Amino acid sequence: MAEPTGGRPLLQVEGVVKRFPIRRGVLRGAGAVHAVEGVDLAVGRGEVVSLVGESGSGKSTLGKCITGMIRPTAGRIHFDGVEVSGSSRGARGNFRRRVQPVFQDPRSSLDPRWAIERTIREPLDAFRIGNKAARAARVRELMDLVGLPAHLSQRKPSELSGGQQQRVAIAAALALEPDLLVADEPVSALDVSVQAQILNLLADLRQRLGLALLFIAHDLSVIEHISDRVAVMYLGRIVESGTVSEVFTDPRHPYTRALIDAIPRPDPTQRMSRTRLIGEIPSPVNPPSGCRFHPRCPVAIGVCSQDDPQQTTFSSQHRAACHVAAAQTASLSELPHERAWL
Amino acid sequence: MTTIERASTARPQWRTRFGGREGLIGWTILAVLILIAILAPVLAPHSSEAIDSTRIFAKPDLSHPFGSDDLGRDVFSRVLYAYRASLSIAIGSVLLAMIVGVPIGVFAGYVGGWADLVLMRAVDLLLAFPALLLAISLIAILGPGNAVALLAIAIIYVPIIARVVRSSVLVVRGQPYVLGARTRGASHWAIVRGHVLPNSAGPVLVQASVLMAFAIVIEAALSFLGLGSQPPTPELGLMLAEGNNYLTTAPWVEIFPGLAIAVTVLAFNLIGDGLRRSFDPHGVTR
Amino acid sequence: MSDSLLEFRKVSVDYAGRGGTVSAVTDVSLTLIEGETFGLVGESGCGKTTLSMALMGLLPDIASVRGRILFNGSDLTTMTESQLRELRGDRISMVFQDPATSLDPTFGIGSQVADTIRAHGDVSRKQAKDRALGLLAEVGIPAAAERYADPPHRLSGGMRQRVVLAAAIANNPALLLADEPTTALDVTIQAQILDLLADLQRRHGTTILLIAHDLGVVAQICDRVGVMYAGQLVEVAPVAELFARPRHPYTRALFDALPSGSHQAGALRVIAGQVPDLAHAPTGCRFKDRCPSRLAECDETPPLAMSDSGASIACWLDPATRAAGGLGPLAIAGESNG
Repeated sequence: MAEPTGGRPLLQVEGVVKRFPIRRGVLRGAGAVHAVEGVDLAVGRGEVVSLVGESGSGKSTLGKCITGMIRPTAGRIHFDGVEVSGSSRGARGNFRRRVQPVFQDPRSSLDPRWAIERTIREPLDAFRIGNKAARAARVRELMDLVGLPAHLSQRKPSELSGGQQQRVAIAAALALEPDLLVADEPVSALDVSVQAQILNLLADLRQRLGLALLFIAHDLSVIEHISDRVAVMYLGRIVESGTVSEVFTDPRHPYTRALIDAIPRPDPTQRMSRTRLIGEIPSPVNPPSGCRFHPRCPVAIGVCSQDDPQQTTFSSQHRAACHVAAAQTASLSELPHERAWL
Repeated sequence: MTTIERASTARPQWRTRFGGREGLIGWTILAVLILIAILAPVLAPHSSEAIDSTRIFAKPDLSHPFGSDDLGRDVFSRVLYAYRASLSIAIGSVLLAMIVGVPIGVFAGYVGGWADLVLMRAVDLLLAFPALLLAISLIAILGPGNAVALLAIAIIYVPIIARVVRSSVLVVRGQPYVLGARTRGASHWAIVRGHVLPNSAGPVLVQASVLMAFAIVIEAALSFLGLGSQPPTPELGLMLAEGNNYLTTAPWVEIFPGLAIAVTVLAFNLIGDGLRRSFDPHGVTR
Repeated sequence: MSDSLLEFRKVSVDYAGRGGTVSAVTDVSLTLIEGETFGLVGESGCGKTTLSMALMGLLPDIASVRGRILFNGSDLTTMTESQLRELRGDRISMVFQDPATSLDPTFGIGSQVADTIRAHGDVSRKQAKDRALGLLAEVGIPAAAERYADPPHRLSGGMRQRVVLAAAIANNPALLLADEPTTALDVTIQAQILDLLADLQRRHGTTILLIAHDLGVVAQICDRVGVMYAGQLVEVAPVAELFARPRHPYTRALFDALPSGSHQAGALRVIAGQVPDLAHAPTGCRFKDRCPSRLAECDETPPLAMSDSGASIACWLDPATRAAGGLGPLAIAGESNG
């Protein structure tokens, strides 16, 4: 139920569910992978919202539902007030232009046989925007916008560095002047110094173009740096959401805390605190009953294995789905909550 | 591992296009063979069909470098003419198979679902028939001859081509650049033409060159069974079949057509290796 | 404590490519002390993996190695393949980034650990199996006896990396080479594996050479750190010193590029320019073209020299380097270690 401040959100996701049926044999279904299980999320205009989680959390699947690459099994996705999840072709066509994906591996997100100029021009050709000269001018403008020198325009992706490749991918995504970029791990395949360049570029584009960004990542330090709000996912659910400072300095969900504790900080004087999650993320085919985190949770109580926790509101933005955190706010609201239960 | 990727950009473009040294040699041999086939009437020192009773099983000499066969015909001239039939069957059968097989494979691979299931089951059915039996039944219906041999080999090849195309289309279809093109509004037709076909062409062309080499062998087998070219038209497989009877007495009747087949197969295989290399989009394969 | 276990002496590695010779590693000299965890960091293409492959004798044929690599005093570069094979998996063992590639998909995980034991020691099948079970338990595989015959694909990535570690420590190696051992893993699993590595190091006193690109990982478990750039070793320092006072301009730039923990918007500092093409590497310091404080001397290769703090830096801005290179102190005083 993460919500941006004020106004109608640009993107509103309500109760989205995505299950992938597992096929055994030719035609018979045998259960399903519960990739996303009832997620609410909103992104405001010009806002940067991050989805964090480990593999199997469903963050990428949710991102694909939002860009329209796959259809959700249930739930609604509104874009600028219009429902786009199951609507007519026309509405989706327009929506596609306004929501663009950026992928993790720039190498595979560019056609290896196409000069980068053609890749950036592809969406302009597809929508027949302007004449030939206008498109060429627009390609130059886009290359300039993402910091690609014009003399690279006829190069193939393999002749560019990883950072340049990702700039090309971003330029192509920007060609149709979208309102929202959905970037799935856009910097995790890049070296630190190149990663910094791309993060700067994204921040810069947001400022200059008023672009909203849904940033899907596992690297918390990157997320902390770039986002306004954060939603933490675990096994298909959003377990905690709020502004960056709320979630990072005052995490309420034990999973969020464990995730933050697990980041190897580039500071040898602060070696990792010894709160370790035991075990691994369970299979999304048979997710645990009750709270999905309870088998690994250091503070689980009896109710956690039975009842699915509801979202508890801690501030206008800050929410978490945890029985223990909810009980604590009710009884211990005066105590400093910092590590109250760990 | 890490550092080598920038290494080689200095190689000349044309050479990379032909797939390095191997590819270049392969294409050169093929070009020479095609030229030989076209210019056979000019190059051949003797008639390919004229029978000369004075020269039966004559040994190779200067004017008849490959010797003479059981009817006293000049083996060298016959080999030159034989390339006409052999090469057109090899290349023609594969081209014909591609004209039919590529669209089937692309459609099945790109559309997926039921279309894929139905098309691929049909293709499997065709694959399940023993190839030679299929060819023989076709020839039984249409009668022997070069054109029928070409058609029979093409039919054997259609399912093979379709399968290769489908599997490489499946790979390309899942690439992020195809997903991205979709979300940026590109039509299916534009995606198939612009991304899917060029990027799945590599394995298909490699397979095609191997199939061309193999076509020469199948055709030789058909001729051997008396089902391909009909005498007296010279054709490499047929010559091999006939020469087999005189291997001990006049080995040249057998050896030279055999060598000619070997050279052709070698050329196609070299071309295949070259294609494999030049279609690796990231350039360097070590 | 100060016994050197491994010593690189002026090691260079060249790859002969069609586009010319690529000098992937140039004149690296480095000593690993017995029992320490040494981190080697740098971005892709800096030569850290090439250096470790040179150590293992696993470079491809197109590579040529110059210099000496001394392990317990004997030169690895002059050893025969069979001598090296005897060392690998016994005195020196390795853990790679992707645990899937280190394990045979068709064999049970337990027997793969047992095979490593039997390959280097005269032990019975039964003894090897018992040892393997003990090792699997030690690296935290729950119900090791039941899992003994499981093929690798039944295990998660984290569990597979634990099996690889079990095989790696099976023969009590003196040196464990870990090349990005946690890069393919999720954060919470990475934390578990790093704990395990530190734990094994403490218990067995194994010297660890950890190759990583993540400065956070290095900060967490290393005692000393070496920073590589474009094939050159530019800085070596105790971990606390390096993170408190990075001295080489490249190291500083690398730290500046890290997303800051404090979530303030604002541009990250980036390094201008690009890593040089190592087929046509510039002479002297390879960072000079991107360096904000380039000097005329930078066309000469600066020697790696130890200063008072225990850190060694290869940079003409550094007084120790200048002294080692026979140059006088820098004209503008106080400019060096800002």
